[in-house]
Amino acid sequence: MGEQLEFLVGILPDLLVGFPGRRPGGLLLSILLTLASLAVGTTLGVVLGFGQESRLWAIRAPSRSIVQVVRGVPLLVLLVLIHTFVGAGRIGGVSTSALQSAFLTLTIYSAAYQADVVAAGIRSVPTTWIDHALLLGTRRLHINRTIVAPKALRTMRPALLTQAITVFKDSSVVVVLGVADLTTNARIALAADVDNTPFWVGTYLLVGGLYFMVARTAALLVERLGDDELNNFGTVINSPDQSTVGH
Amino acid sequence: MPGWLTGELWSDLIAGAMVTIGLTIVSSVLALAFGRWAALARLGSRPGRRRIARLYVEVFRNVPALILVIFFAFAVPNLVPVDLRKTLFFDNVLTDALSTVTGLILPWYAFAAMLALAFNTGGHLAEILRSGIAAVPTSRLDASRSLGLDHDASLRNVVLPAAVRVAFPAISNRLVHNMKNTSLASFVAVPELFNAFQGAITRTFQASELLVLAALFYLVLSTAMTAGLDLVGRRLGAAATHGVGHG
Repeated sequence: MGEQLEFLVGILPDLLVGFPGRRPGGLLLSILLTLASLAVGTTLGVVLGFGQESRLWAIRAPSRSIVQVVRGVPLLVLLVLIHTFVGAGRIGGVSTSALQSAFLTLTIYSAAYQADVVAAGIRSVPTTWIDHALLLGTRRLHINRTIVAPKALRTMRPALLTQAITVFKDSSVVVVLGVADLTTNARIALAADVDNTPFWVGTYLLVGGLYFMVARTAALLVERLGDDELNNFGTVINSPDQSTVGH
Repeated sequence: MPGWLTGELWSDLIAGAMVTIGLTIVSSVLALAFGRWAALARLGSRPGRRRIARLYVEVFRNVPALILVIFFAFAVPNLVPVDLRKTLFFDNVLTDALSTVTGLILPWYAFAAMLALAFNTGGHLAEILRSGIAAVPTSRLDASRSLGLDHDASLRNVVLPAAVRVAFPAISNRLVHNMKNTSLASFVAVPELFNAFQGAITRTFQASELLVLAALFYLVLSTAMTAGLDLVGRRLGAAATHGVGHG
């Protein structure tokens, strides 16, 4: 037991911030990579989401195809596929590092999933709002910017944030490119010595615990946000010991 | 057909696809059972079960599927002393039987990956079902209770079927996601589709061609699965599939 603890304490810095000289790494890199991909990906997702709901076929069809293709393929395959193409300079002679490929893939991945959330948000905007604005002579683009986008994004904020947490958890798959993230560093730490097999369980419990902590904390924050906004919205069936069904 | 795509290579890929389909079916069925149990238990009348279900959902939703897969397949056997490990996980009547049925040389890894995915997807399904139940009007529960069914039976027999119809698009999304997640089993030496493609790449060096083909394989699988589930949904009279990507 003491040996277990000693090993875990020893590798904790590597898991949290990365191996010395390869920082940021570990959990910190997982978080940074996720945030960077989400920043670009969500922006792209809003554009794609509007594209999916566009009245123009020339915009709608490609937007839907992109989203469908990205959503139809496992992240693992996307990562390796994209890295094979852009990592070896097959496209435009630009050669990316594994980390850049991971960032690019997670960006595309989050864009596709956020696009679907945004599209659902757009569909939830009451058509009467748009009709009224049209009757008043407002231009479509202006309506989208001032009515549809704010309403859709506000409605879908919890869903967008939940999806963001999913991207964080899914970022563990970048281990396939060997990007010094939390999962990769755990693997490296364990592979450093063949005698490390007794530490597998403890290490993966620790790694799982770290992902859990970040994801759960973020989820709690999102829930609180949702509770504030959805106050008195819809009826909820509670378990009997909680305030039982009213009305 | 290009020269490198030999009949032998092709049959390996098909074999991989079969393992992927098998993993998907078994883990999805188990996940539905776990999800159903946890959703009912969380809203049920027994406090002990409520706590266990809550713990189950929180843990298995917030730890990345990849970590769960590696933990179950690689770490768990390390809990057992070396001399016992072989008999317990790799060489006994049960593993032999599984080997014969599935054609897998080391069925433990596939079994462990399947179980990890089932637990993970089950946690997500529980949450989806729970929000589906919340969307069912409370009058249904009241009506059923006034007819003499107790709380748990009302939830299970009256509210849940309605909740499944409401939540069907999200359930369907999650099951397709589970199919894509079976690719994570390639990390623990399960000869599923992506693993077969990795093997094909090391033999032929046709990385970009094979990876595009891998993406196409998964795209076909997810499109077919979505279409199949849509049919099921229509028979259930479910809400139109226009789902938000439920993380």
